[in-house]
Amino acid sequence: MSAPPQDLVLHLARFASALRGRGVAVSLSDEADGLAALTLIDLGDRDEVRRALRTALKIRPRDTAAFEELFAALWSAREEAGSPNPPLQAPRLQGPARPRPAGRPPGRRESEPGVIPEGGEEPGYSPEAVLRRKSFEEYSPADLAAMERLLARLALRLATRPSRRRVPVRGRGEADLRRSFRRAVAHGGEFLTLSRRARPIERPRLVVLCDTSGSMDPHTRFLLTFVLALRQVARRSEIFAFNTALVRLTPWIRAGRIDLTLERLALQVPDWSGGTKIGECLAEFVEHYLDELVDGATVVIILSDGLDRGDVQPLAGAMRAIRARARRVLWLNPLAGDARYEPTARAMAAAFPYVDRLLPAQNLE
Amino acid sequence: MRDEIAALQEAMEGQGYIADPAIATALFLSREMRRPLLIEGDAGVGKTEIAKVLARLLETELIRLQCYEGLDVSTALYEWNYQRQMLRLRLAEDEGKSGDEIEDLIFGRRYLLERPLLRAITRIEGPPVLLIDEIDRADDAFEAFLLEVLSDFQVTIPELGTIRAEHVPHVILTSNRTREIGDALRRRCLYLYIEHPTLEKEVRILRARVPEAGERLSDEIARFMAALRRRRLSKAPGVAETIDWAQALLRLHRAHLDRETVEATLGCVLKDHYDLRELSGGELEAVLTEATAG
Repeated sequence: MSAPPQDLVLHLARFASALRGRGVAVSLSDEADGLAALTLIDLGDRDEVRRALRTALKIRPRDTAAFEELFAALWSAREEAGSPNPPLQAPRLQGPARPRPAGRPPGRRESEPGVIPEGGEEPGYSPEAVLRRKSFEEYSPADLAAMERLLARLALRLATRPSRRRVPVRGRGEADLRRSFRRAVAHGGEFLTLSRRARPIERPRLVVLCDTSGSMDPHTRFLLTFVLALRQVARRSEIFAFNTALVRLTPWIRAGRIDLTLERLALQVPDWSGGTKIGECLAEFVEHYLDELVDGATVVIILSDGLDRGDVQPLAGAMRAIRARARRVLWLNPLAGDARYEPTARAMAAAFPYVDRLLPAQNLE
Repeated sequence: MRDEIAALQEAMEGQGYIADPAIATALFLSREMRRPLLIEGDAGVGKTEIAKVLARLLETELIRLQCYEGLDVSTALYEWNYQRQMLRLRLAEDEGKSGDEIEDLIFGRRYLLERPLLRAITRIEGPPVLLIDEIDRADDAFEAFLLEVLSDFQVTIPELGTIRAEHVPHVILTSNRTREIGDALRRRCLYLYIEHPTLEKEVRILRARVPEAGERLSDEIARFMAALRRRRLSKAPGVAETIDWAQALLRLHRAHLDRETVEATLGCVLKDHYDLRELSGGELEAVLTEATAG
């Protein structure tokens, strides 16, 4: 059933637009590639068409499900030649496309349909909770300002590393033979000076996952201050908040006044100060964001007390997936500041083997 | 199916590479459309092997550029041979040559060290297969540079001028997906994602690559691998591991899988500390039962 080219172009354009509707990035040049590929293959062979389109439209594994589904629809639409309205014309925006937390109506946590804050807000009540010393709310503005400076320094240390690439420098560094020789050639073979090179300091991406549940409440403000300080030194950082659901905060964070940003954030995060489901939230992070946001140069920082009432199995799985991909995984735990604290909370214990460093976040000593 | 694609698949099998139609189609399109092919997939699913097989099929040279973090132009493209230049410079001065003459002398092709990318576009005998391996390990800056080379297939060397490709090479890029490849580079290429093989395919691979293993052992190994990959692992074993393991078992003169043998050789298959630890004990028994039952 070789269709006339005009028909082919039309079908392909519809197909591409349906893919885009499902959040699959297909550009015009991809469409052109798709068309070129279709002219090279047997159009009567359904599987061959499917394989060629997958290759030419560059369908990644995470988009495969959407592609297969839409392709089945495209093919059946082509089979019924009379059908004027193939099902492709009304792409649905739901399905496995990425969740769009930014689109949530700001405000009322009760309005979150999928996430029912489980009753009995007891997560703050646990043996470890007794160990907490004082809330950062008690600090004076001068203390806060001093702390912000300290945090910025700490953030800078966490967020930088020497690059693997070498760039020319003056003064110190190893000898750069290539440049030295080049300059010597310019001077008739005399080495007047030796060029040097060194590794510049690089700023890898940070991904911060911040627990905002009830048991973290006294520390949340402090931790978010820290996160914002990090954001200022590492611009490519990504910030998520989680309690019973995961929310990507990055679009909501602007440099500037921290208290203002905090107010804005409080509106965005459903179930602020509610319970925690660390495992499920991290599993969601792994499913939707890990491939895109975390690579071998990324440092993942988790801010949480590890007090979770959910199943620990998803947490261990998620931590392992993160560990396998990230450069380093740091866990900042306000409870770890206490000398008597051991990572015995069940969730913390499950995550512990996959953490590079467990740091106290209660104070900065 | 187009005859050419079927023929390509068959030819690859003739070279010992069990290709499924998706692989043959992608390779066919990449050749016909003269576009680089970006192959992604877990480590050990046979990405690099495709380039080697293609080079053998086309009876041409395989030029390989292994990527790593910090890879730069002087390793990937070209470098001047400074020592020889310096030597020639001293001689030329003694001969009393003028400045311009000296310049022409020492910035000639003779003093240029060709690195893989330059070699790939200057090969005169015909288009080679250029394998850019593990592009995900290189950094963004190199990716941008590569995009330029792959778009125009020409290279500008300030002292020499622009060198155009004699023949456009067959380019294959591989990535283990430790990071996302930039959109621009992905658009420049055609794309193929290779999954772990199905049970049937893995048995066929074992038959082709380790024929001495025999029917029963091959079946058990393939089933064991399939059962393993159904578990949640940090590093799911690839076909490369399957073949290694089959060869190891042959050396030990094992004709079938039992617990003791598997425990002793599991390191051929699982190369992650956590995976190994979790699979000891009852879990291993379960996988083994799945592999040897039926």
